[in-house]
Amino acid sequence: MKEGWTQRLGDELAQVWTVMVKDIRVYYLFPGMIMTGLLSPFFMFFSFSVRREMGATQGVARLLAMTIFFTAAAAGPFIIPLERRLGTYDRLLAAPMSLLTLLLGKTAVGAVLSIAVSAVSLAVGVVVFGASIAQPWLLATGVLLGSFSFSALGLIFGSIPTHNPGDVAMPSLLLRWGLLFVSGVFIPLGEMAPVARALAYLSPLTYAQDLMNHAVQGMGLLNPWLDLAALLLMGVLFLLPSVKMHQRSRRLGY
Amino acid sequence: MSNAIEVDNLTKYYGRPGAGVLAVDHISFEVHSGEVFGFLGPNGAGKTTTQRMLTTLLEPTGGRIVINGHDLACDAYTVKRQTGLVPEESDVYAGLTAWDNLMFTARLYRVGRRERAERARELLETFGLWEKRDVKVENFSKGMRRRLSIAMAIIHKPALLFLDEPTPGLDAQTARAIRDLIRRLNAAGPALSGAEGTTIFLTTHQIEEANQLCDRVAIINRGRIAAIDTPERLKRAFQRVQSVEVALEPDGPETPRVSETLGVSLAALPGVTTSVKMGDKWRLYTEDPSALLPQVMDYARSQKLRVVSLNTLGPSLEDVFLEITGQQVGTVRHETSKRQEAGGKRRGARGKRGGGQ
Repeated sequence: MKEGWTQRLGDELAQVWTVMVKDIRVYYLFPGMIMTGLLSPFFMFFSFSVRREMGATQGVARLLAMTIFFTAAAAGPFIIPLERRLGTYDRLLAAPMSLLTLLLGKTAVGAVLSIAVSAVSLAVGVVVFGASIAQPWLLATGVLLGSFSFSALGLIFGSIPTHNPGDVAMPSLLLRWGLLFVSGVFIPLGEMAPVARALAYLSPLTYAQDLMNHAVQGMGLLNPWLDLAALLLMGVLFLLPSVKMHQRSRRLGY
Repeated sequence: MSNAIEVDNLTKYYGRPGAGVLAVDHISFEVHSGEVFGFLGPNGAGKTTTQRMLTTLLEPTGGRIVINGHDLACDAYTVKRQTGLVPEESDVYAGLTAWDNLMFTARLYRVGRRERAERARELLETFGLWEKRDVKVENFSKGMRRRLSIAMAIIHKPALLFLDEPTPGLDAQTARAIRDLIRRLNAAGPALSGAEGTTIFLTTHQIEEANQLCDRVAIINRGRIAAIDTPERLKRAFQRVQSVEVALEPDGPETPRVSETLGVSLAALPGVTTSVKMGDKWRLYTEDPSALLPQVMDYARSQKLRVVSLNTLGPSLEDVFLEITGQQVGTVRHETSKRQEAGGKRRGARGKRGGGQ
């Protein structure tokens, strides 16, 4: 029995990898992914940072948080509705793997893209702007956890029962923009009014930004362990609505 | 004989049970291991809904599905490992090559590294795609995509294969090649499907395809199984849809406008229940073809028409299907009946059959 479970677990992990690699090969270079996943964070960063007084480390911390957030959350709302429309999602749903395995594979797609783009952002910040990194290991852990957490957030929108990526693109973008303004990215947490700060604590981006501040600048408002724990917890919680919506899709026939 | 599929009281409501749309209405049937089972029905009859429930893609509202001895509600994982699915739209990844599509599916079904390469080569060669293995699927024709889709569905040697409308939209040559593949899949032999041969559940609205391929067919109409048997037994059960097919042409220049009145006149012959124009021929439905033949000849002589061809036909599976589902044979029959009505004749298309209007 134990051997059976071990085998099954190994199979499911391999399937997570298989789904992820396939999606990376098929979808990373789609125009929709390039626009929402690769270019958006940079556009947003430069829109709100140009001509503002900001040090290199502060800028890198902000760019990293935005990159993780925007890029990781871009894949889910784009890929799943597209696959539903093309009919290829049925192949995945009919394959011998659990729904959680499929969702973890899809989460990994956004996370890997986010990690890769973050690495580029970091390299630009260090090489071009001369930023230094205060806590590299915290940075690596934060990027990893944040990427998975935000990718799981994007997956919620991808799980909405629809065949049209356009149906979920707008609400997904609206949420991301909304969170951007209440999460201490542009206005530091310490400068926020109590009500705004209470709202900020509900946003996962708040913890990612604070973590990046710790990792890059060496200072943040919250305990970095709390940031890590919040990102981990939210990442797990974000998977639950996706599971529920997939179950609903199965009842509705999407 | 063991059963590959056992369906008991399967029901699907879209929306709330009792208030929503009843797509599948308490159906029960079995599919024997090793057979090609056709699931026929008009559009919206519940074919695809049933098939999606059998393949775990759709949750039933009620009923029980057992596949190869495993209850689908309790052991979907095992069932999924033993089944393959070819959906109506070829579910191939256009951005990947044929080889990569096969490798992806093989990995998904946990086919061993060595075996999957051998299997992929074997399937690509068999399906005539080996030379195109490194070409991206976006450059494939519809027929090539279809073949690849089938290859992907059987790379793990499933005991049961679900095929949803495998040939619509394909040219005649490709459609025939796909049907040949289905026969070979079903036949015993290790080359394609493993030693036992694959049980095939074929969802189609192409009656002739089902007639050619299936050991048994079920006809579903408005969510209910209307008939289930071998094609030949179904045909025998509907002897009243026998027909005489006749092609007539003027025997000289003195018979103008013969085609306009011919349908009405033929439909008015004693014993004819329906007349249908089929190209340059007329098909006259009757319960007694032998009694009708001399009348057709007499009519031709009296009208100075030459009989180009004259055949008696048993009921086709299409006739049985249309009879069961209450559809008309073709629009021409409808037109014929209108003319008859206009001429004050009560027989013909609205005659004894009663179906089709």
